[in-house]
Amino acid sequence: MDEIRYETLFVATDTSRHYLPLPVMKNVIDSMTYTKLNVLHWHIVDTQSFPLEIPSYPKLWNGAYSPTQRYTFEDAAEIVNYAGRRGIHVLAEIDVPGHALSWGKGYPSLWPSKNCQEPLDVSSDFTFKVIDGILSDFSKIFKFKFIHLGGDEVNTTCWSTTPRISKWLKKHRKTEAEAYEYFVLRAQKIASSHGYEIINWEETFNNFGNKLNPKTVVHNWLGTGVVGRVTAAGLRCIMSNQDKWYLDHIDTPWQMFYANEPFEMIKDEKRQSLVLGGEVCMWGEHIDASDIQQTIWPRAAAAAERLWTPYTKLAENPDKVTTRLAHFRCLLNERGVAAAPLVGGGRVAPFEPGSCLAQ
Amino acid sequence: MNPSFKIWFILVCFFCFNVQLQLGVDEGYTLMVSKNNELSIVGAATIEANTVYGALRGLETFSQLCAFDYLTKSVQIYKAPWFIQDKPRFQYRGLLIDTSRHFLPVDVIKQIIESMSFAKLNVLHWHIVDEQSFPFETPTYPNLWKGAYSRWERYTVEDASEIVRFAKMRGINVMAELDVPGHAESWGTGYPDLWPSPSCREPLDVTKNLTFDVISGILADMRKIFPFEFFHLGGDEVNTDCWKNTTHVKEWLQGRNFTSKDAYKYFVLRAQQIAISKNWTPVNWEETFSSFGKDLDPRTVVQNWLVSDICQKAVAKGFRCIFSNQGYWYLDHLDVPWDQVYNTEPLNGIHNPSQQKLVIGGEVCMWGETADTSVVLQTIWPRAAAAAERMWSTREAVSKGNITLTALPRLHYFRCLLNNRGVPAAPVDNWYARRPPSGPGSCYAQ
Repeated sequence: MDEIRYETLFVATDTSRHYLPLPVMKNVIDSMTYTKLNVLHWHIVDTQSFPLEIPSYPKLWNGAYSPTQRYTFEDAAEIVNYAGRRGIHVLAEIDVPGHALSWGKGYPSLWPSKNCQEPLDVSSDFTFKVIDGILSDFSKIFKFKFIHLGGDEVNTTCWSTTPRISKWLKKHRKTEAEAYEYFVLRAQKIASSHGYEIINWEETFNNFGNKLNPKTVVHNWLGTGVVGRVTAAGLRCIMSNQDKWYLDHIDTPWQMFYANEPFEMIKDEKRQSLVLGGEVCMWGEHIDASDIQQTIWPRAAAAAERLWTPYTKLAENPDKVTTRLAHFRCLLNERGVAAAPLVGGGRVAPFEPGSCLAQ
Repeated sequence: MNPSFKIWFILVCFFCFNVQLQLGVDEGYTLMVSKNNELSIVGAATIEANTVYGALRGLETFSQLCAFDYLTKSVQIYKAPWFIQDKPRFQYRGLLIDTSRHFLPVDVIKQIIESMSFAKLNVLHWHIVDEQSFPFETPTYPNLWKGAYSRWERYTVEDASEIVRFAKMRGINVMAELDVPGHAESWGTGYPDLWPSPSCREPLDVTKNLTFDVISGILADMRKIFPFEFFHLGGDEVNTDCWKNTTHVKEWLQGRNFTSKDAYKYFVLRAQQIAISKNWTPVNWEETFSSFGKDLDPRTVVQNWLVSDICQKAVAKGFRCIFSNQGYWYLDHLDVPWDQVYNTEPLNGIHNPSQQKLVIGGEVCMWGETADTSVVLQTIWPRAAAAAERMWSTREAVSKGNITLTALPRLHYFRCLLNNRGVPAAPVDNWYARRPPSGPGSCYAQ
């Protein structure tokens, strides 16, 4: 009898650093079903581009790389539908207040100033109106109970150096750090009002964990240490520690993906139940339609086994898994998924002729 | 209120159904798209073609004229009206794939075929077998595919027929290659007698009738699968040391007063006759022409790859030629950027018009030593598209001079079109092929 160990097994894709056409997204979704991964974390928007149509604020997608590197509202619904028919949830992320420079292409008033364009202007109510509009539109198509609000890598310099905002900070007696906290919490409230449960990147917990909405799920990425602290505080957690589960780190071999154990830091069973699951992240700086599948696979499969299989059935020595992973990689190839050879880190080309099973 | 412009489609195809897919089939078409609200009685898009294959080419062009407009959320045809009269410059516009160095699953071959049709390439040269593996089912000699890498890295005859059918639906011929006498070590896994000796395994043993019986058996099996009029018999890179050093072969050579070069010629010519007896025209790699050109069957098509002026020499002797200069059109050479692929001209150095006609076309080659399923499509594209334009468009129409201004934007557009259709074409601007994008950015700028 086969039963899942964790509730959620995620893959993150990033469509801001490079636009990923629909057939490519669908190909990724199809390949996820082969390893029983069940959540597609769609990091839709970031600094570089804003590709998604937001009916409430139709100029936002002026921040797309070009008029054709976009997803219509219907495209997004189709992805959700396509995934849903395969038993895969779509977790949408709208990362705020950092990683949001592209929002200002359509609405420049969201920038602190023309020369200082990140993070989003905390002093302006308009900022939160736009977030509300986005989340309202999201609620019509992204039906998964969670929404990801980002909150990572917030460099608040542009707040303190822009006169209008530094005045606001003084007026409200907030330091930059407190303004960051204020922003995240206000965004959380908006998301809750639309019926979502919230996921945030771990810096929010690291900086003001006790102020977060108590149902917040903390998404670890920096190192492994935070998982223990998050669960000790009674909050749920998703693991994506970058030293082992970042797919864009192509020097991380599959053995490290396999060996990454979420419970290593937590021995208490009650706290273990707070670990919702784990996620491998396919960040898009060097990933586009030409090389995404060979960067995701086969390493994501190693992580998928770690997340699905009962702890006692997992191999202690990853090298024992080699044959099975090679077999699985060839199965992916047979199904038209461009999974890379096992030998040598991520997305290497085979360096010589040979059998699929031996490379 | 204006009704949205619906395109009525008219397809006129004079000999749609009784035309065989063969080399030289008429692939020309005329495509007309009238502008909305113009004084056009027809108000439609029309394709006229003499054959269904011309119609297919016209449909492909039409599909690329259509673009989704994100503001109106409708499919538009920009810059209508259009009047396009188009036909290919060369009859033979090929892509070689190599399924011996790495097995390519059927679904992957289909992805490749599908992508070929977007650039109007029309011959898939399937280099099926080589030294490393023999993945193909040959019922007449069923042990041959023991030379496959593994029991399931194989093609059944049904797989092969399916590939031929899939290609035909897209107007693409499949030319099979059985490379002999070199590049054939894998044959001996099933039939060790084909090796000169257990320790010296290439080329195939020229002394034995078994060798030619096996070739004949394979070709008989393949005749049922591959209807294309050409069959490629290889004949490249033949290192005859194992003939000279293996006793029984040495004695056979001496008995006939053959040098090893004579034996090479004997082998190739005998294999050619087998193919001809099965109603095929043989294609051979250029070394056969360079070594004994005057003895080659005059119907032979010579495929150039090694020396840059071989086609010149071959057509001067009355042979047809396929151009595949390895310096520019070998896709496994990753250090050849798109502009060098584009600027390569098959008729370079050939001025006599009747000789020019003998260059039937060209082929880009995706050798498989370092190309497996994970990288094959991004190694083929987008550079193959640069060659495809060279092979389809007239010499006058091909961009010249500063192609960064003329051809490059079109190649960017085409690469993004491939991506939009799910084909993992690599960034255009990278100097080295199949590298990831250098950083975040728009598809059209990378």
